[in-house]
Order: sequence, then C-alpha cells, then structure tokens
Amino acid sequence: MKNAFLKGVFIGVFGLFSTSLLAQDDLMNMLDEEPQEEVVSKVYATFKGTHLVNANTIETVKAKTLDFRIIHRFGNIGVASNGGGHTLWGLDAATNVRFSFDYGITDRLQVGLGRSTTREHLDFSVKYKILEQTSDDKMPITLDWYSNMAITPMKDVNNYWDAVTDRMSFAHQIILARKFNKSFSFEILPTYFHRNWILQNTNPDNNAQETNDILALGLAGRIKITKRIALIGEYFYDFSDYRTNNSLNPYYHPLGLGVEIETGGHVFHVNLSNASGIIINDFLPNSQDTWTKGGYKFGFAISRVFNAGRK
Amino acid sequence: MKKEHQTIRDMRTLMLLILVAGFAKAQTVYSSTKAHVKFFSESPLEDIEADNEKARSLISEKDSAIVVSIPNIAFKFEKPLMEEHFHENYMETEDFPKSMFKGKIVSGMNFQQDGTYEVQVEGQLTIHGVTLDRQLTATIVKAGDVLTVKGSFLVRIEEHDVKVPSMYIDNIAEEVTVFVDFTYEPYKK
Repeated sequence: MKNAFLKGVFIGVFGLFSTSLLAQDDLMNMLDEEPQEEVVSKVYATFKGTHLVNANTIETVKAKTLDFRIIHRFGNIGVASNGGGHTLWGLDAATNVRFSFDYGITDRLQVGLGRSTTREHLDFSVKYKILEQTSDDKMPITLDWYSNMAITPMKDVNNYWDAVTDRMSFAHQIILARKFNKSFSFEILPTYFHRNWILQNTNPDNNAQETNDILALGLAGRIKITKRIALIGEYFYDFSDYRTNNSLNPYYHPLGLGVEIETGGHVFHVNLSNASGIIINDFLPNSQDTWTKGGYKFGFAISRVFNAGRK
Repeated sequence: MKKEHQTIRDMRTLMLLILVAGFAKAQTVYSSTKAHVKFFSESPLEDIEADNEKARSLISEKDSAIVVSIPNIAFKFEKPLMEEHFHENYMETEDFPKSMFKGKIVSGMNFQQDGTYEVQVEGQLTIHGVTLDRQLTATIVKAGDVLTVKGSFLVRIEEHDVKVPSMYIDNIAEEVTVFVDFTYEPYKK
C-alpha cells in the first residue's frame, strides 16, 4: 500500500512537472486549436503583368500607378518566311513596335492608350476587374471585362474609307482566370471583335465571306519555374470561316510562347510568336505567318510601373 | 484493514490536491484581444511599412510562457505592389504562412500586482521558416485583468534567409524594426 501511495504522488507530481516543461508548446497548441477567424485575402499575382505575349491578363494596374510598356516584335526567323541569316533571323526587321501607358484609376479599373507600328494603330482601352479570386476559394476565379477601340490614322491611298468611323475597330473580352497554385495560373478569353470596315473578300475554298465580326477564344497560362522566372504561353482560336483553310490568303491561329522575368517594378518578356500584331485588333484578323514555315518572330516586352499620386 | 483504507483515502486526497493546485494555477492564461504588429524598413531610396492586426497571442501566468502567431498574409502595405512583392518574393507567404514567437518572460514580471514592468523575454522567433533564439525586452502594463505588452526589436532579414537581389539593396533595409502592441484579457473558452 505504501507503494500505491508513492505511485500516486509520483503520477501527480510528474503530471504537474511535465505540463510546465511543455508549457510553451501547450500554449502554442492552445493558440492553434482556438477557433480563429480565417484571414481571407484576395489571391495576389495570378499573373505578373497586364499582358502575356499578346493576351490580356486579368491583372490591372493598381490604383494611381502607371504602367509603361515597350513591346517589340522582330521579323520572321525561318528561311521559308524570309528570315534566316540574311535578316539575322528576323532581327534586322522591326515588324511591330508598340508603346503603351496603362493607368489604374482604382485597384480594379484601368484605362490605357497605346500606339503600334502596324496600321499605325492608336488604341484606347478599359479593363475592369469584376470578381476576384479569394484565398478561401469562396470565389474560385477572377473575372475581368476588357474593351478597346483602335483607330488607324493611315493615309487612305486606296480611298477605302468614307468616314472616320470606317477606320475604327473594337474588341471586347471577358477574361476568366484562376491561380491554381503558387506556380500555375490559367485563363480563358472569350473575345468579340468588330471592324467597322472590311475588304469584301471571299475564301475561294469554302466561299465564306470576310465578316465584320469575328468571335474567338483565347487560352493563356503561366508556369513559374523560379521565384522570378516564369514560362508563358497563349493561343487564340478564331471562329471565322473566311480564315479557315483559305489557300489564296492563308490565316493561322496566333500562338505565342515566352519567358517572363520579374525583377520587382520591372517585368521583362522575351517571346516567340507567329503573330506580328500586338493588339487584338491586329493579331486576331491578320495573323498570316505560320510556325510550321518558320513564320515565328522574336519579341520582347519591357514593363515599368511608376507610382503616381502616392507618397 | 481500516488503516489501509485510510491510507488510500489519504493518497486520493493528496492526488486531488495536487490536481486542483495545478488546475487552479493553469487558469490564469491571458489571451490577446487586440494585436498590432508593424514593421518598418528604412533605406536610402524608400521607407517600407506594413501593419498586421490579425496576430494572436497567449500568456500563461503559471510559467510566464508567451506565444505569438502572426499570419503573414495579413500584413498590409501602403503600395499594393510592395505587398505583392513582400508575399511573392521575400516572405514567400504561400510556403511560410505564419511568423511565430514561442518563449518565456524570464525576469521583471509580477502578475500579482498592477504596475508597469520592464521584462526580459527569451525564446524562439520563427520568420520565413528560420527559427532563431532571441532575447527581447518589452514593457508590460498590468491593470486589473488587462495586460498590455509593447516592445520593439530588430530583425536582420538575412539571418532569416530572406534574400534581396543586389539591385534592390538600396530599397530594402538589412535590419527591419518590428513593433508590437498587444492587449490581453483572461482567456475564456
């Protein structure tokens, strides 16, 4: 019985001792087990910039910041598409250069303007973030609306255009994106494109007429391979019969691949694309080079974000 | 036989006493009701400041243990781009969601009496997945049931394996000052 007594004391004392020994861990467990309000946040950095190769992303420029972008597309790389060594694989040519400014009015609303070499296009755009993916997945996607208007101030050497409005085209997009994990994001871009004026052409192979309206679906993604480097890719499929199997005037779906390097404040892209156009209004209706005949071009984009109106 | 019963009863009483004593002492756990963590980086090119109101902390009077848990995602910055870079490039919040402190008030505190105490705290500070032993000082004010803890300390970001690319050396300080301001009340289940 004396043994039982000692045992009791031992268990009691040991119990007390062991709780104090582990007190900090116990306290931490207590903290972890306590019902806590989950910190729900918006998912950040689905993409690193407002564009991938050509495609818009769901990212908008943050409030009171200005994003200045310089985009350069060289000439075709492959010999079969007038590239090769004589043009230093396209580097001699500046097929298309675009400067753009995008400004964030709020964290969700962005307005922009840009100018491209192709058709001397001036474009004005607005992008609005309607829904934002949240960390708790109650909102699993981010949804943007994008619209633009482009106008060409080119000399009307062929007397095509009767009015200023004939020089205009419009693109509207819904952009639906999800950041699946910290290194993979994907988006789809249902696109409606309208030109006020078109050349009345016919596809000799299926008798389809060129149309003012083009519907398209874009697919675009980003895979992060290191903290600051990511692979980007995009593809646009257009639902235009005129552009399907047109042997007289062939068209190809724009496919772009690139590497994105983020240095904090700067985002730098190097890419390859068969599209010479940079804005939808150029690359959607007029991509006539193909990857299979070396019709892809080297390109780069530099983005620099400035704070305007913040301390 | 009777004597034996008596012994068992003594034993039970003693065990109960020990248990009750332990229990009574363990009751005084203080839980944070307001928690503000702020850090400040001062550099030639820009000052960076972030606030976090979502930290939680417990102090156990019994053994002077103190624990703090800070969800990194709740750090708010003035510039949204800074916030994104903080999470994505420096804190790597998705890999290291919490910053933590686990330690003990080693001297200077008297829980039995209202007053202002300059205390020494020793423990482990975990930031960016790297745990370091730290000795910190803080001021604890006890007013009735309410404790307030205020303090500041320096964090050398390199020691926590946070790397700053050389082109941003002038934007981000090597030593970041962390300020804490917590209010505690007795813990209620």
